[in-house]
Amino acid sequence: MGNFRVASRYAKSLFRLSEDKNIFNSVSESADLVFNTLKNSKELRAVLKNPIVKQDIKKELLKEIFSGKVSSEVDTFFNLIVEHNREDILFEIISRFIELKNEKLGIVNAVVKSAVDLNDEAKTRIQKELEDFTKKKVNITYKVDSSLIGGFIVLINDQVIDSSIKNQLKLLKKKLMSETILNN
Amino acid sequence: MAEVRPDEVSRILKKQLAGFESESEIYDVGTVLQVGDGIARVYGLSQVMASELVEFPHGIMGMVLNLEEDSVGCVLFGDGNLIKEGDEVRRTKRVASFPVGEKLLGRVVDPLGEPLDGKGPVQSEFFSPIERKALGVIQRQPVKEALQTGIVAVDAMIPIGRGQRELIIGDRQTGKTAVAIDAIINQKHTHTEEAKRLGINPVYCIYVAIGQKASTVAQVVGKLQELGAMEYTTVISAAASTPAPLQFIAPYAGSTMGEYFRDSGRHALVVYDDLSKQAVAYRELSLLLRRPPGREAYPGDVFYLHSRLLERASKLSDDLGGGSLTALPIIETQQGDVSAYIPTNVISITDGQIYLEPNLFNSGVRPAINVGISVSRVGGNAQIKAMRKVAGTLKLDLAQYRELEAFSKFGSDLDKATTRTLAKGARLVELLKQAQYAPIPIEKQVVSVYLGTNNYFENVPIASLKKFEKEFLEYAELRYPQIFESIRTEKVLTDPTLENIKKAFSEFSEKFNAA
Repeated sequence: MGNFRVASRYAKSLFRLSEDKNIFNSVSESADLVFNTLKNSKELRAVLKNPIVKQDIKKELLKEIFSGKVSSEVDTFFNLIVEHNREDILFEIISRFIELKNEKLGIVNAVVKSAVDLNDEAKTRIQKELEDFTKKKVNITYKVDSSLIGGFIVLINDQVIDSSIKNQLKLLKKKLMSETILNN
Repeated sequence: MAEVRPDEVSRILKKQLAGFESESEIYDVGTVLQVGDGIARVYGLSQVMASELVEFPHGIMGMVLNLEEDSVGCVLFGDGNLIKEGDEVRRTKRVASFPVGEKLLGRVVDPLGEPLDGKGPVQSEFFSPIERKALGVIQRQPVKEALQTGIVAVDAMIPIGRGQRELIIGDRQTGKTAVAIDAIINQKHTHTEEAKRLGINPVYCIYVAIGQKASTVAQVVGKLQELGAMEYTTVISAAASTPAPLQFIAPYAGSTMGEYFRDSGRHALVVYDDLSKQAVAYRELSLLLRRPPGREAYPGDVFYLHSRLLERASKLSDDLGGGSLTALPIIETQQGDVSAYIPTNVISITDGQIYLEPNLFNSGVRPAINVGISVSRVGGNAQIKAMRKVAGTLKLDLAQYRELEAFSKFGSDLDKATTRTLAKGARLVELLKQAQYAPIPIEKQVVSVYLGTNNYFENVPIASLKKFEKEFLEYAELRYPQIFESIRTEKVLTDPTLENIKKAFSEFSEKFNAA
């Protein structure tokens, strides 16, 4: 709970700074890079969270990994975070920043799970339907999940649009059971 | 052997399938972050409402209590051990609610309306949210009808009106539940044809058992069934073994059920047995939700917990049908300590209290009501005129008796007036004793109290007073039924009735003394 607030505060300050200095694009590119790196490297996240590893080492580590690849503002931001002993929530801060960025650009992330691989035509149709539904630009990740039997599921933030055969069977079971009880 | 034709089976299935539409379903989900001690913290569910029901895997329901920035705190109504981190939580878009309707009369259900009596599913008219705002000033009117409990001490001195909130307070084993159960049993007469003729509206009862032994609840239900009181009663049970969240919501469910009757212009009586256990359950889940503890480790809103519940008791204005919801909350004190946190809170919320004492109970005064400190702040207006007239001096007489009783213990010589007051007081105390499950109709109460306060029993020995009273009432009913008929219908003590009582008394005492 506390971490969420702290992360929001740091993320917002970076966000405003980038807007004020008109370097939003470069900062957000760097943020994407950092986000993907952290997301893909469990080891890096573990090192940053580890209280035994000294701050200097963490600072050096971040510099070595990202120097030259991120904008100078993000570099300074890293130093600030490490100095404030907040490097353990760097991942949360960057995730929050990405959320803010997506909000500003009107982008939502969606996951489409389907029983079989979808062809391009279906994908473009889903993309269009979802953009109509959310009134935003939708960033879709496709996944295959054979346990759905048929149909597909869309996950947008907390919302689920469920058109899978699995769910329909579940609903059918519920309906048949409730009717049987009522009739008896 | 009967045969099942395959075409018949498929016909039935087809019929049931006809209404099934295969549309895609849209719902909101969250993920369990942490679970333990009956509490789950859920990430996501950003649109969820406070006190909304959410569905966990295995059909376990939960209720949202804490809405935080990045997570929500839910209490679980089932076994938390089945839920794991990462499980999906679904919104139901339905705030916690309770099924209401006549079909629930005679049933024993849990606070979510699931049956506990093995009589099949509960068929209700509709679901009503368990947390509802209490009515405002405009929708109400003063309490004006009597709710007869059938207990002489209560109906004479601590009268309860329909729409009142009267607290029953006392230590363990002092007969708190007995008073409430007697009140429920006594409502049987309001469901008779005769009551209809006299313009007495039926009172539907709801008994909410919170944190009690399941065996005690079974005993109460058994007794109600035996005495034919289950026909107009619903029992909501959250026994001691049920999770704290269910114990916490049980009284609200009972109140919702009562409001159904009240809002349809009828009358309801809800017994909350008992609210100290509900406060303990609420403390448990508040502490688990990490809300800051206050006095006696109860959370800061424990007063609001009870005030919002009891404020729902009300007498509706005539425009709204004139229904009423009477509340009889019960509080258990520890060693007679009424200045503990929860007792003081509930005393200040209710319109009076019936105070039960272990000393009285052990010395054989049952019901063990301490009439000196028991009060009813509004019920007096609802008392029938005859009772108000005869009971006027009863409380005073008893107060005088208690005062002099202390003196008499010194063993010094007492003057004649004092001896007389003491004798009268002792007889009144004897007169107010009453067996359990034996409510007395109001007309008989009036006659007994009239005779007692006017010192008719002066020459009857205390030991045989109860026998005398019982036999006198039987005699009067047989020979002078017009006495009771007149009190019942006119609700006042007319002069001819008084004459009849006097005549009956002198006739009977001659016979009694001769025997």
